[in-house]
Amino acid sequence: MKGISVSFEAANIQSAARNGNTRSAVFDPHLLIIGLWVFAGYYLGCKIGFALTFQPHPISVLWPPNSVLVAALLLTPPRSWWVVLLAALPAHLAAQLQSHVPPLMIFCWFVSNSCEALIGAGLMRYLVGGPIRFVTLRNVGLFCLCVVFIAPFLSSFLDAALVVWNHWGEDTYWELIRLRLFSNALAALIIVPLVVTWATTGIQPLRTARLSRYLEACALFVGLLLVSYAVLYKFGSGADSALLFLPLPFLLWAAVRFGSLGASTAVSIVSFLAIWSAAHGHGPFSGGPAEQDALSIQIFLIVLAIPLLFLATVIEERVTGATELGESESRFRNVADAAPILIWMAGVDKLCTFFNKPWLEFTGRSIEHELGNGWAEGVHPDDLQKCLEVYTEAFDARQPFVMQYRLRRNDGEYRWISDQGVARHDAQGGFAGYIGSCVDVTELMKKEEALHEFEQRVVLAAEAAHLGVWEMDPATKELWMSDSARTLFQFDSETPLDHAAFQDRVRPEDRALRDSAVKHALETRSGYEIEYRVLLPDGTQRWIGARARCVAGDNRKGARLIGVSIDITPRKLAEAEALRHRDELSHLSRVALMGEMSASIAHELNQPLAGIASNAGAGQRFIDRGNVDLQEIRELLADIGADARRASDVVRGIRGMIKKEQMGRQRINLNDIVTNVVHILSSDALLHWCELKTSLDTNLPMVEADPIQIQQVLINLVVNAFEAMPETPVSTREVEINTQQNADGAVRVSVRDYGVGISPETRSRLFEQFFTTKAEGLGMGLAIARSIVEAHAGTIDAENAEDGGARFHFTLPISTAA
Amino acid sequence: MIPPNSLVFVIDDDVSVRKGLSRLLRSAGYKSEIFNSAADFLARSPHPGPCCVIVDVRMPGLNGIDVQEALIQRRREEQLIFITGHGNIPMCARVMKAGAVDFLPKPFRNAELLQCIGRALMRSADQRSCAVEKGKARELLDLLTPREFEVMQLVTTGLLNKQIAGELGTKEKTVKVHRGRLMQKLRVRSVAELVHLTQKASIAPFAGHRTKV
Repeated sequence: MKGISVSFEAANIQSAARNGNTRSAVFDPHLLIIGLWVFAGYYLGCKIGFALTFQPHPISVLWPPNSVLVAALLLTPPRSWWVVLLAALPAHLAAQLQSHVPPLMIFCWFVSNSCEALIGAGLMRYLVGGPIRFVTLRNVGLFCLCVVFIAPFLSSFLDAALVVWNHWGEDTYWELIRLRLFSNALAALIIVPLVVTWATTGIQPLRTARLSRYLEACALFVGLLLVSYAVLYKFGSGADSALLFLPLPFLLWAAVRFGSLGASTAVSIVSFLAIWSAAHGHGPFSGGPAEQDALSIQIFLIVLAIPLLFLATVIEERVTGATELGESESRFRNVADAAPILIWMAGVDKLCTFFNKPWLEFTGRSIEHELGNGWAEGVHPDDLQKCLEVYTEAFDARQPFVMQYRLRRNDGEYRWISDQGVARHDAQGGFAGYIGSCVDVTELMKKEEALHEFEQRVVLAAEAAHLGVWEMDPATKELWMSDSARTLFQFDSETPLDHAAFQDRVRPEDRALRDSAVKHALETRSGYEIEYRVLLPDGTQRWIGARARCVAGDNRKGARLIGVSIDITPRKLAEAEALRHRDELSHLSRVALMGEMSASIAHELNQPLAGIASNAGAGQRFIDRGNVDLQEIRELLADIGADARRASDVVRGIRGMIKKEQMGRQRINLNDIVTNVVHILSSDALLHWCELKTSLDTNLPMVEADPIQIQQVLINLVVNAFEAMPETPVSTREVEINTQQNADGAVRVSVRDYGVGISPETRSRLFEQFFTTKAEGLGMGLAIARSIVEAHAGTIDAENAEDGGARFHFTLPISTAA
Repeated sequence: MIPPNSLVFVIDDDVSVRKGLSRLLRSAGYKSEIFNSAADFLARSPHPGPCCVIVDVRMPGLNGIDVQEALIQRRREEQLIFITGHGNIPMCARVMKAGAVDFLPKPFRNAELLQCIGRALMRSADQRSCAVEKGKARELLDLLTPREFEVMQLVTTGLLNKQIAGELGTKEKTVKVHRGRLMQKLRVRSVAELVHLTQKASIAPFAGHRTKV
């Protein structure tokens, strides 16, 4: 009975906690343990019950087994109850069979016992929910009601009926009920608290208790035993019944000092002694008829136990509450002191009652200085007024507040603090004051200020550079534009923008380019740099240069396109102007070249003219002589015609060179250009006493170029070659023009002379504008040649050739058009 | 008046000029040969008759001036007329100093060219006849013995027989005999004719000892 061990219950609880609702109860080894304990407990209980029976009645004063069953049911989760009942049955059978009771009776008693236990435990479970503890008044009250009174009451009817039906014993129905009721109620009152408190508390307190507590417990129980023994055993039935109250102080002592545990244990001891003494004819409860004795003991013990239980519970509640409060206080303090922020608390009178350790460390003052309104001494004088105003206003309105002020740190520096305070309430909901926390935001504020400044600067810079910044969400087609962007595109500052509104401004011819650039950027998560034209609402057209980048999205937004647009119209105009100038310069250079070649042009024209003059003269003479051969005249005239055409070809060639309009680029074969140039320059070659040779690659691929311009370049190079050889002996005055295809596929034309070559100083300056080594040169020829070649995506260069002289060459890329 | 057996050579690299000149010459009644390079002309054997060469100064390969030099080197007597599409004064001066007949820039006036050709051919003819006469004179002079040659040389200086004898260190009589014989061989009847003959033969005047008279 008392020996129902703790560990059985502990194991039970552990397994209940561990199992929760997920594991099947069938194969749990803990259930086996539970079953074993129940069996043992029940069996022992039966034995003890038999020992405490007043013969000849079949009813014990105190019948433990039912209470053991109830306790077991209270301590196990409902789904394991079948195990408990199943384990109790063999114990019941084993115990009762020894006492020569008919088997049917035995079984009926088991049924009624089980009913009582189930009713009691079921009611408790239902009303209390959760695990049963004897720590709240409500629990204890319900326990007394359900387990001590209702369950035994109800099952007594059943029990009595079964006994009568079995014709066991001699008592009447009502007597049986009465006897049963008291016996079971008393057992419930004594046994169940004992078992449950020991089970739930365990032997942990025994291990961890201080020595003084041990001694106290020992003194208590020794005293209790002695007194109880004396009162309940030693003294006879004639003793003064007032002596029965002697154990009371010890019982109270047990309840107050040791709570439910102590109370239930003490009560059990007293009960046991009283009943056992009476059963063996000792003590104040013996001597009368058995029923009467039993009843008086029962009443005595019940009356004793119930209040004691309640007292013990109240004491428990208070202690738990007190320790919990104390624990909660110290927990709060730990948290407050460990937090990285400054915490303060104020009472209902606005005076501060608490500052945590970090606050005190921050200000470097002691808590006495800070309490009340002492903390205000650390606030910066400029901020104090506002700080107090905000505080009092919020306080009176019981509203939360946030404010920033400067607080003096322990090193004297004033740091910016962000102070947040909220009202707090006590357990009943009444206003209890304020609690707040402060954070040093100086760095944050500095950063914010720096960020703000930086932002200002960026905006200023963007404005100054007339950069329009924009951002587009490709999913929603929404467009955000900065103010300068809006100005740039002539949107007003209010209308929300989307892609379509913007696209409207772009010129139709450029829309495709822009769209494909945007699409490409989004697909490849890269960016683009494009130029396009916009037509603004006021009718002007502007060139816009836009650079954009695709920014990967974060959780909230998808990928976006951000970019910068700038008005590049001035640049574009300047570029166009520069191009025009270049073309003009190129033209002028051509004209000048023709001027330089005037001698050879004259020579070239004089040949056919001489032919014409001779032929014409001859014709006249033939006619004067009367010696007219018509065939001869015909041939003569044909030759004149041919010569005239030849002369006009020369003129046309010159006109082609000096006219201003471009011919435009065409697919040409550079060999044809070379041949043309050789023809044009044949006279010039003679004038310089030079010989012009060519070596042409017959499989030269075509290039895309302006023939007049390339001709200009080649003429320039060849004339330079002629003019480089005044010192060279006439027999070696050769200029060789060579065409070939490069290794990298470009077409290369080179002009090689046998002149003085290129000196190192001039090498680097050859293609500079206005650089010349000639006495009366302008110095633009090679510069223009380079600009022409480079405009065709080619290269031009020069080096000294082997065997003396220089070689100038230029390359042009092959035409890729079909 | 065209000298007989005249030939006009034309050297020009330009086809229009060649054709035109060839017709012009034909129309003026000249016989001509046309070459398009100087090398071809020089490879041709010299023409045995009065001739002139119309040559373009500026030609690829051998130009007109090269032709002139080549002819001078070979001691040929062809008369050169230079024509050019583009000329300058130094070039003109050079070729004239080297003995060209004329220097005509293109396009030239036909009349001018034909006049030049006429002049050139006359010169050529004269030259040729001079050369012939020189040859004859030299043949005659070759008939003289050395002594007679010496006497002849002194006679052309206008010395009296007595002086000649004194010069040579012989008797006057001997001188008279030599004189008669050489006059006979040379078929001249007077000192003047003798001098004329030596001039034709291009004998340098005697510049030996001169006795003061």
